[in-house]
Amino acid sequence: MNQKSTVIPSEEEVKTEEDKERKAKPILPRNSLTREDHLEILRQIYLARYFDVRLIKEKRRGRLRGTLYSSQNQEAILVGTLYGLRSDDWISPVHRDMPAFFLKDMRSGWDNPERKGMSIAQVCAQVWGKATAPGRAKDNWSHIGSVPLGIIPSTSMLASTIPVACGVAYDFKLRNHDGVVLTYNGEGSTARGDFHEGLNLAAIHDLAVIVVVENNQWAYGTPVELECPTEDVADRARGYNIPGLVADGQDVLDVYDKTMWCVERARKGLGPSIIECKTYRAFGHGDHDDQRADRYRSKEEIERGRRRDPIAVYKTYLVENGILSEEEAKRYSPEGKHAIQVTDEDFPPEVVEAVRKGVEFAIASPLPEPEEAFKHVFVEE
Amino acid sequence: MSVVAAEETTKVNYLTALRNVLHEEMERFPDMVCIGEDIGILGGAFGVTEGMRDKFGPDRVLDTPISESAIVGMAIGLAMTGRIVMAEMQFIDFISCGFDQIVNNAATMCYRTNGEVPLPIVIRGPSGGYGGGGPYHSQQNEAWFAHSPGLKVVIPSTPSDAAGLLRASLRDPNPVIFYEVKELYRKREIEEPIPPGEWIVPLGKAAIRREGTDLTLISYGNPLYLCLQAAELLQEREGINAEVIDLRTLVPLDKETILNSVKKTNRVVVVNEAPKTCGFAAEVVAIINEHVFEYLDAPVLRVTRADTPVPWVQPLELAVLPSVDKIYDTCIKVAKF
Ligand SMILES: Cc1ncc(C[n+]2csc(CCOP(=O)(O)OP(=O)(O)O)c2C)c(N)n1
Repeated sequence: MNQKSTVIPSEEEVKTEEDKERKAKPILPRNSLTREDHLEILRQIYLARYFDVRLIKEKRRGRLRGTLYSSQNQEAILVGTLYGLRSDDWISPVHRDMPAFFLKDMRSGWDNPERKGMSIAQVCAQVWGKATAPGRAKDNWSHIGSVPLGIIPSTSMLASTIPVACGVAYDFKLRNHDGVVLTYNGEGSTARGDFHEGLNLAAIHDLAVIVVVENNQWAYGTPVELECPTEDVADRARGYNIPGLVADGQDVLDVYDKTMWCVERARKGLGPSIIECKTYRAFGHGDHDDQRADRYRSKEEIERGRRRDPIAVYKTYLVENGILSEEEAKRYSPEGKHAIQVTDEDFPPEVVEAVRKGVEFAIASPLPEPEEAFKHVFVEE
Repeated sequence: MSVVAAEETTKVNYLTALRNVLHEEMERFPDMVCIGEDIGILGGAFGVTEGMRDKFGPDRVLDTPISESAIVGMAIGLAMTGRIVMAEMQFIDFISCGFDQIVNNAATMCYRTNGEVPLPIVIRGPSGGYGGGGPYHSQQNEAWFAHSPGLKVVIPSTPSDAAGLLRASLRDPNPVIFYEVKELYRKREIEEPIPPGEWIVPLGKAAIRREGTDLTLISYGNPLYLCLQAAELLQEREGINAEVIDLRTLVPLDKETILNSVKKTNRVVVVNEAPKTCGFAAEVVAIINEHVFEYLDAPVLRVTRADTPVPWVQPLELAVLPSVDKIYDTCIKVAKF
């Protein structure tokens, strides 16, 4: 198998007439997206951005505890990987993926109570550390999950969800179920033993595990060249004889296409794959690191990394393909603006409203009672 | 005032004390190497290794990938070849990812080789709760390693101990797990001058932080300061004069200081912030029972973290961790037994 195998066949892959045709006129998963799909994808990217912006502002006002790992500039990865999943697929977000908890299964309807994803209110309650949070605020930020919703709860230990995803996917296999488990990881976490042990196991048994690597070039204060020896992080796939795809993490449709390619493969029982999404970490590792990050990363580098805002990239596509008019595209424009410069007017009202309701719910919720601390160490009968 | 005198009286915080010793030992021992995540370019998550990469170069201050097992394994290899190694865990909680290399490889190396392969490694990292870090940024997991023969376990509570114990640990031929108390890193109230020269606090020597006659409080790390506050309250409100011992190192343990104090006060409360079951406090209680049972006027009690993970939000975190109130109440129980 060609390890760089992608949705569009590469030169080496073009052998038959059929291949040639496929190359000339690739049947990309995006081709079956409707206008409504596109508008919804855009709305979800706005939502992810607005949620992050709101948290940045709240954190600056001193209203939040814990570290905020901004997902800004990486929204296309979250939306692009989640949009095509089915309700019964599983995911495991980590620290930088807070919006994934509510973006999951959004296609079933933002307010649909049957939806297999968390509500924005639940995620806000988690961020605010309230009794209404899924884990009752026993653990912080991204360390939540839900088996009924198909979300693996993560620990802080990076890459530790990959072996767990293997367990879930092995259950799928035993049940002849064609669900997939999609795990998120930073490129830095691909150095962990759990990453290798998990992928090795997944590959041996053709488990439906899709490892999304958000390569934002930095793992805290260490650049990717000191984390990974291969040209692309996706090249690590070679060691497991599985496909390793590289996607443009700023382009939601490229991420979507490649995810769907991996998902279809996994549903057919053909096993795991890695999708490396190239992106750039917009701010510090966490908000505590914002100032230091401006010292260990050059100004030029940061500017370059932020230049291709995923909202702008997608809008260009939508305009070029007649899905949005120039005017419509300009209506809401948070792209390229710093988190603290954007205002509610830069976002569609339904997005602002959805987050506002969630934040209000969180603020109105009580803190957990101290007794909560002693509950559920073991299963309570 | 001369420069030397100024240096001697400059107060430094806990973190700076550690940083200075690392710089000094790197200078003194050209073969010493530091490895860990983000210790070079960034200067460490908390800044303990700040300035070291610039001074000693990226080869001796190595930024590793996120690979705790490889960090410890590599430290073992480097130490085998005669180097002193400082290996940083970004948070001591992540030491679990390097656990096997520590307890099965490093801890047993000397034993397996009949003492031929010393491993001068210090695995250090920020530890402890009270900061709202949640289950994975608040642990005090020293008992795992005190329970693995072949490792030394050190927990300094003051800047001068941080400096003196770190130097002693780096110069010790055995692997040392060195717990830094992150809530103390920048605590103003405990800043103090560090004694000049190559200041060393020997491993295995406890410190009596407050002399007393009526009751002994034994602790280390964050709760040491809670014990000192409780001792003041006991004095003020009840006229109970408590002695407070800071263990400083768990392995080797200064049994003598513990037992002498018990013989004097006849009443003991042991306080630490690890979970109660099989925590180090239990070990201290057992040692007291084994050696000086006949001196006791009351059962030895413990104040520890509850047997739960460390929860995140404040009302929950404080509910499970030792507090001045919990220590005070327990002391009253023991004093009035
Ligand atoms: C096993 C382990 N070691 C260290 C850490 C501390 N840590 C938290 S995030 C991080 C950097 C992660 O980088 P990357 O995986 O690239 O994700 P990014 O933050 O860039 O999204 C580190 C070192 C951890 N969480 N887990």
